Amino acid sequence: MTSLGRIWVLARNTYREAVRDKLLYNLLLFAALMIASSILLAQLQIGKDERIYRDVGLGAIAFFGVLIAIFVGINLVYREISTKTVYTMLSKPVRRWEFLTGKYFGLLSLLAVEVAIMTACFLGVLAWKGSEFSVGLVWAIAMIYLELALVTAIAMFFSSFTTPYLSGMFTVALWIVGHLLTDLRAFGQHTDISGLRPLLEALYWTLPNLSRLDFKADASAGNPIPPARAAMAALYAVGYSLALMLGAVSLFQRRDFR
Amino acid sequence: MIAIRTRALRKLFRTGFWMRPVEAVKKVDLEVKAGEIFGFIGPNGAGKTTTIKVLTGLVLPTSGEAWLNERPVSDPQSRARLGFLPEGTFFHDYLDAREFLDFHGALAGVPKELRRERIPKLLERVGLAHAADRQIRRYSKGMRQRVGLAQALIGDPETVILDEPMSGLDPLGRKDVRDVILSLRDEGKTVFFSSHILEDAEMICDQVAIILSGEVRKKGYLDELLGQEIVGSELVVEAISEELFHELQRQARRAVVQGRRFLFEFAGESDGEKALDRVRESGGRVRSFAPKRRSLEDVLLEGLAEEKRA
Repeated sequence: MTSLGRIWVLARNTYREAVRDKLLYNLLLFAALMIASSILLAQLQIGKDERIYRDVGLGAIAFFGVLIAIFVGINLVYREISTKTVYTMLSKPVRRWEFLTGKYFGLLSLLAVEVAIMTACFLGVLAWKGSEFSVGLVWAIAMIYLELALVTAIAMFFSSFTTPYLSGMFTVALWIVGHLLTDLRAFGQHTDISGLRPLLEALYWTLPNLSRLDFKADASAGNPIPPARAAMAALYAVGYSLALMLGAVSLFQRRDFR
Repeated sequence: MIAIRTRALRKLFRTGFWMRPVEAVKKVDLEVKAGEIFGFIGPNGAGKTTTIKVLTGLVLPTSGEAWLNERPVSDPQSRARLGFLPEGTFFHDYLDAREFLDFHGALAGVPKELRRERIPKLLERVGLAHAADRQIRRYSKGMRQRVGLAQALIGDPETVILDEPMSGLDPLGRKDVRDVILSLRDEGKTVFFSSHILEDAEMICDQVAIILSGEVRKKGYLDELLGQEIVGSELVVEAISEELFHELQRQARRAVVQGRRFLFEFAGESDGEKALDRVRESGGRVRSFAPKRRSLEDVLLEGLAEEKRA
């Protein structure tokens, strides 16, 4: 069997494991309720109904997607190690990088299904209220998915060498900072505090800049999204995820399973 | 062909906040010939599981060398024809037995058609055909051990490594595992298993190695290690007077009261025979008398005593 075959087997099992987890269904239910709540929220504001449907819908897809990526992502690898199920897998002719890649792709397929379900709820709200589904929204949802792929890679990177608790904290911290990096850099350019500017500049260039992938505001306002900007953002997300996965593999490669 | 070989294998773990070094395996030299049952014997914490984890690619050795099926263990292909049952039956319990075996068969590179054919046979062999569609989380400990054993055999391995396969099983379960191990040898496979249950090892092994504090102290074929020499005798009697009991107790290495019966263990065969005559003279009833050969337990205890002296 080839590496690709083994990655497929591991990804399929990861997907199967995740869909048998009840937490996933609870999160999806809350996401659907939140998307549906945009109908009620729109009644509180006069004349901005469409904007509210889009803001709440995209926000719910992004927020619950990240919750699933973090909670499932940090546990997937750690649980295999803590419950020692990794023993029977890695004692087969399976390379460690194949194991991590299989887990990663398994989770990506779960996230794809989960984003598709939430998008269907979102479309349902828009169709019911006769609101238009623009190309910009497609871009925004595609970028949410790439952000989830990147957040999953961050979670897997940390969970390849530390506990779920710490992995969760680090991943949430990076997710928050990742969305503030552009603002932090702008702040650094206007500050007089010595040493802060190069520090914020260094953080801007090294940490995952998730605000680059955030097309929600533009899509919701109906602003055009240049394809070149979207392509660059996609390339950035894929490149950064790949680098994190390489880091995770290099740490995982040297790990002893005691 | 040599199925398993290690040379000066050593493993150092670093533990705790200060990363203090702990030498789990100090020096392990092993050579397991293909087609044999090899028992890896030692008390808890002796280094058995760490050695097995090095062989199965789960732990990286600090120094020394290890080969499996004629390939270095660092090469994943060394595990292409390996079946492994880890200690403790930790499996994907959200799967049922059929899904579990299909998943591990696919990872072992068994084609789909062959898996479909092999899974029911394996479930039959380990006595789980009736529970094939039940989730593993609903299995008892013995059933988990059996499905784990089936998982180890799904790839039709040349070498099977079992870490404490009899641990926690009832006598019937232990017998079933012993039978599977013996049938694997009949099929020409190599079985390497660790155990601290010495009777099991004595019953089925061709060769054994005794590991104490991370070092292999004794190894060889069972008859070489145990020899033919009579090293003691065991006498079980009934209806003897209190005076005779105390007299025999003074002469015996060990005396145990078992209800109405008394068991005496003597250091040599002649001491036992003398005691046997005394019981007969006094009118007591002899239930059994058996000369004792050296057991694996004696060899292990000697090793532990030597270690204590050193």
